[in-house]
This record gives sequence, C-alpha cells and structure tokens, in this order.
Amino acid sequence: MAIVSFPSSILKVTNLAKSFGGVKAINDVSFIVREGTVTGLIGPNGAGKSSVVNAISGFTRVDRGVVELAGHDITNQAPHRIAARGLIRSFQIARELQKLTVLENMMVAPFQQLGESPWRALISRRAVMREEREHLAEAVDWLQMFNLFALRDEYAGNLSGGQKKLLELARALMAKPKVVLLDEPMAGVNPTLTKTLQGYISRLRDQGVTFLLIEHNLSVVEAICDHVVVLAEGAVLAEGQMNELRETEEVISAYLGG
Amino acid sequence: MSSLVFYLLTVAIFFCIYCIYGWGLNLQFGLTGILDFTYITFVAIGAYFAGVAALQPGNGGLGEQYILGLHLPFPIPPIIGGIVAAVLAILIGYVGLKRLRSDYLAIVTVSVGQIVWTLIGNITPLFNGWDGISGVPQPFNSVFQLDFNHYQWVFLVICILFAVLGFLIIERLTHSPFGRVLRAIREDENVAAALGKNVFRYKMMAFVIGSIYAGVGGALTIAYIGAYNPSGFTTMETFIIWAAMLVGGSGNNRGMILGAFLVPVLFNEGTRFLPSPPGNPLLAESIRGMAIGLLLIFAARFRPQGILPERKTVFRLDGLQQGGEAGGDRLVPQ
Repeated sequence: MAIVSFPSSILKVTNLAKSFGGVKAINDVSFIVREGTVTGLIGPNGAGKSSVVNAISGFTRVDRGVVELAGHDITNQAPHRIAARGLIRSFQIARELQKLTVLENMMVAPFQQLGESPWRALISRRAVMREEREHLAEAVDWLQMFNLFALRDEYAGNLSGGQKKLLELARALMAKPKVVLLDEPMAGVNPTLTKTLQGYISRLRDQGVTFLLIEHNLSVVEAICDHVVVLAEGAVLAEGQMNELRETEEVISAYLGG
Repeated sequence: MSSLVFYLLTVAIFFCIYCIYGWGLNLQFGLTGILDFTYITFVAIGAYFAGVAALQPGNGGLGEQYILGLHLPFPIPPIIGGIVAAVLAILIGYVGLKRLRSDYLAIVTVSVGQIVWTLIGNITPLFNGWDGISGVPQPFNSVFQLDFNHYQWVFLVICILFAVLGFLIIERLTHSPFGRVLRAIREDENVAAALGKNVFRYKMMAFVIGSIYAGVGGALTIAYIGAYNPSGFTTMETFIIWAAMLVGGSGNNRGMILGAFLVPVLFNEGTRFLPSPPGNPLLAESIRGMAIGLLLIFAARFRPQGILPERKTVFRLDGLQQGGEAGGDRLVPQ
C-alpha cells in the first residue's frame, strides 16, 4: 500500500455539548475536518446537525467542549470573530442581502476593508477606491465562474432560489475562508443545479478549499464527501467513507431506515 | 424688509436644519435599520448644550438658571452640541443596541426620550426647567451688529454651509464600504455577522454619527431662535422628521432633501396660513398634524419606498482585468 500523507486538521471539534432547557441537542460530539477535503455531516432530523453548525459558527453558545480553527480556540466566540478567523458559514435557507445587488453582496464579504471605517471612508478616498477596484475584480471573477455575472446589478432579492444558493457560495468564497461550512446547500434545489453545485464543490476542493457539508441527500454525500460523520441523538454514531457507512448496521437502522 | 422675505428666510433656514436632522436619521434608519423614535432628544441635548456653551454664566438678567454658561464663540457651541449628543448616543447605544433588535430598541428609545424630557423639565438648575433657556447670542452678530431682519441673511449662509458640509459627508459615508456594511446589517444582521462584521460596533457608529447630525442641527436651531424649552422636543417633533424621511425616501439623502421640503416646510409651514376660527386657536395645529398623517398614509400606500427611493449601486467595471472565463478550469481566482 502506498504511503498516503494525511493533510492536517483545520477544524477540530472536541466533546461538544449543548442543552436547550432539558433537551440535550448535542450530547458529546467530536470530529475533525482535514484541510482540502469535503467532510460531510449527516444524520436524521433532530440528530443535532444544525445545533453543531450554530455552535461551531458562534451563533449558539455551547455548554462544554472545544472548537479549534487552525489551532486557535474559537469556542463560544462571537460569530463575527469566528468568521474573521476564516470560518464562513452559509444558512439553510439562502439568506441573500435582498436590497443589495449581486455585486454588492460579493463586495461586503472581504474582511477589514479600509473603507469600512467611516473615518477612512471620508479622508482616504483614493486608497479606498483602489481597494474597491481590487475587490471588484475578484468579485467579477467569481460571478463569472458561477454564471451570475449577467445578474451582477440585479437586487439579490430578485434572484431565483437556485441563483441565491450560488450567490451564497460565491459570497462565502469571496471572504477567502479557511473552512466553508455549508448548511444543506442542496435543500430545495432542482436536480440539475444540484449536479452543478456538486461539481463546483468538488472542483473547489481540488483547488484547496476545505468544506464542512451538512446534507440530507446521500447520493450527493457519497459523490463529493471524502469523509462522513454520522450524527444521531446528539452524538457521533459512526464515521468513515460513505460507501463503508452504507454497510454499517447502526447507521442503517438509525438513518437509512433499513 | 418686507415680512414675506423675512418669513421666507425663516423657512429656508429651517429647511436647511431639517435636512441636517433628516440625514442623521436616514443614516440610522434608512441605512442601518435602527428604529430611533427619540431622535429629537438628541436634537434637544445638542441645542441645550450649545445654548449654555454660548450663554454668559447663569442667573443672568432674566433670572434663568442653567449649567455651564461658557460664553464661547461660534462655531464652538455646535461642536459641543454634536459631541454631547454623541456621548448620549453611546450611553443609550450600550443599553439598547447590544442585545435588542429593532422593535424592542424602539421601545427603549421612546422611554429614554420621555425620561430625558421629564428630567430636563423638572430639574430647573440644568436648563431652567419648563421655561427653558433664552437669550442665546446670535453667531457672529457681535461682529456684524445687524438688526434681526438683516441678520437672517447671515444666518442663512451659516446654515447653508453646514448643510452642504453635512450633505457631502453623509453622501460619502453612504456610498462607501462603511455604508454598504450598514445596509447589509439592515438586510440581515446574522449574515453580516457571518461575514465577519461586528454588528454592534457598526450599529453604534451609525447611531452616534446620526446623533451628531441631530446635535449639530439642534445647536443651529437654538442659535437661530435664541431660546429652547421642553415644548420644542416633544414626540411630535420626532414624528415630523420621520415623516419627512419616509415621504422623501429612506436610504436616499437626496430624497431626504425633498422630504424636508415637503413635510416640515410645505405641510408644517403651509398650514400656518389656514384661518384659525375664533375660540378654537388649536385648530390649525391639529389640522397640521392630520395633514402630515395623511401624507404619510398616501406615501405608504402609493410610494412605500418614498418619492426618491434608495438608489441602486451600479459599479463601473471598465478597466478591470477580467481574467476568468465562465466554467474555466481554475475556480479560485488568482
């Protein structure tokens, strides 16, 4: 067997736990996401997937456990700090910034823009404009790649459901993230676009982008995930490659309904 | 000078001041979505502090009591007015903006307004209580020595200068990356946070900058009228600025100019000429309120984004290096 060099973990979740009142949403969850891979997080409804997503991205506080991003402890930090560290999440229901154009949605994404300070916006107009041009060039590149360029000056609220999903992915990438956390990106998307999105994610992975993917569609998971973590009742039930997991007894009974 | 010219000058001065108020509120609500229902409180605080900064030490000839009395020359009083309004905004912002979202914050602002109003009215040593302060000196008139009629022209020029400066600043902020973040927050706070923006900090900045506009506008008001008391900052006054913004076009600073002309000038001043029947002196004022209310209802029904809605930002792309091809091999831009 050839020696395979495993890429190092970029996101590490250790013994995460979270209760809402008496309900334990997350019991004890640990897993890692390796750099440059697509890691899938699957599980039946109520398994705690969304809670894990919200906990990792800082939208809910955890009771116990540690989340590390590229070696930094980001547990219970504010969402904007976690994002600034390089973990960008999408939302289950596409949340475009409606009354901003497609291009503006893209232009919001880069971190620490000079012109985001009101003072610099007033006095350093030249430098701000220069930075805007740089970001604009990048945004245009992304939009062309996701076939959204023609819609650049359209209000994001006017896009179709599928286009909103594409925009959300493009916007996440615009932020140059270390890890992209996609919360059910295929939900409510037609089969053709599912294939397209699948293709984009695989190719981005090949170019070094790391994904953590929450997904219900098992054929998608099988097609693009390098590693899959199965959650059930707030705990990790099993993990491995999807084709192996399909054979696992517990997974079948808990999830596949075999 | 004819009384008509005098009247028109007064209207022009208030038009400039209402534009300044409006741009501040527009930054808070039109851009950021902060429901500030006590905007006039910041106007009042700015007016009072600018007033006592310009007045001689208290207990003057009229027996009025007030704090400070610094006797500072223009334009220091408006600067002080802006700073004090900003400080009040920071205090209220820490209570209201940290955890509360739109409607709850609105309730907090209404209560704060009532508290400040009651305190200023009842604590006479602050700003002479319900009677208010008066005799605030006119800017530069110790130099010009003009009578009040001719001085109007000087003050109009001062107001135009402030309005032009205010417009240039607010326009630049609105169309900068800063303004873009504020609009992103207005659309969806969680998305803005998920993109690494410190939502609380940005809301606070919008709230404070808007309040500076209120404070400076208030300082101009007291410099013009020369007096100010709690009847000048009732909830109705906030409502008029809100109406001007909603009718003119929230999110559009030019629409705000139009709104400032339509609501406080045309509707508020225009109704002044209605005959007031004997024995019913408050009729004209009531009709004024009703007219503005009706205008607001019509605007909401037929033109909900205002007469001049927020303009779409269109980037000019010429001269950009457009490298990527649709569906090209490399997805990550260089």
